[in-house]
Amino acid sequence: MNKKMTLLLIALSLLACNFLFPQTERATPQPSDIQDPQPTGFTIVRLHPRDGNLQHLLASEAQKAAALGRLPVVEFDATWCPPCQAIDKAIRANNKLMLNAYAGTYIIKLDVDEWGWNNGKVQDFRFDGIPVYFKLDLEGKKTGEVIDGGAWGEDIPANIAPVMDGFFHDPTE
Amino acid sequence: MKSHRCLHTLIQTVLILAAVVSCAPSNYDTIALASFTENYVEVSIQLEQTGAGAHVISATFTPPEGYHLYSKDIPITGVDGLGRPTLLELTSSSETMATGTLIESVEAEVPNFGPRELLVYPASAVTLSLPVELPPGNDWIEDELQVTYMACSASQCKPPVVGKIVRVRVPGAEAFDRK
Repeated sequence: MNKKMTLLLIALSLLACNFLFPQTERATPQPSDIQDPQPTGFTIVRLHPRDGNLQHLLASEAQKAAALGRLPVVEFDATWCPPCQAIDKAIRANNKLMLNAYAGTYIIKLDVDEWGWNNGKVQDFRFDGIPVYFKLDLEGKKTGEVIDGGAWGEDIPANIAPVMDGFFHDPTE
Repeated sequence: MKSHRCLHTLIQTVLILAAVVSCAPSNYDTIALASFTENYVEVSIQLEQTGAGAHVISATFTPPEGYHLYSKDIPITGVDGLGRPTLLELTSSSETMATGTLIESVEAEVPNFGPRELLVYPASAVTLSLPVELPPGNDWIEDELQVTYMACSASQCKPPVVGKIVRVRVPGAEAFDRK
């Protein structure tokens, strides 16, 4: 009898623990895709036009980023863009420099083949090369801080990571 | 003394002849067919006569400073999807006929970055030339070409232009000489 009570109490405690301390890190951003989820440190999601209006989607993603305590950033990229793919490859390979640079960020990827380039669909995002990164505020609006591939030289982590790190973790903010 | 004067006269004659020859109009002319800037790359297309009855259509692609274009020989869909070739082509409805393969003004090279198969031209203008046979006749006709290209630097890309149709007016083979 005592044994059964003990087991029941343990089960109840586990349930209560899970209820009181939900695992927010596991929350899957919807309706976007999680691309190559990283074990820790940052989040990468990809939005598609079929998901809805960009402004609403960014507002929603910015809230998710805030809940995770991460900095929301929009990145425009494309599958044909070697520098964009080089960055993704370095992240997938768990390059330490890149993982450190991206720590604390919530990257919202938009493919220019889907979203277009300086057109109505991407609203007031204006750029003349990719990859390009725009910091967002908690409402999903541009803060005005932007960085693109022109900020570093050859697309290798040793060049990219320090620049990205400085952009994402600006100590003056 | 006499031989010295003779040599002097000879040099003067050669110089005068050289000047006359350089001022003479060339037999082989060039016709500008089209020029435009799209996705940050300037493109100018011209028709040249390279010999008796021999013509080439050439396109010069000028990317922004620090940007390169990709080799004409990489696949149309890129290497593993990356990059796009630089191409000047006739279309299936072109009246002009290709008589040779595309010739590049500079040789593509293995990049210092990215996949080694993704050959790039040095970061400056590239001219591609296509030997052609003009349509017969004395009239100028509406014709079309197509171009493909994409400009990137070591860390950034402009969007590609793939299979852009360029409408041009070309002279018939006999009209070229009378233009």
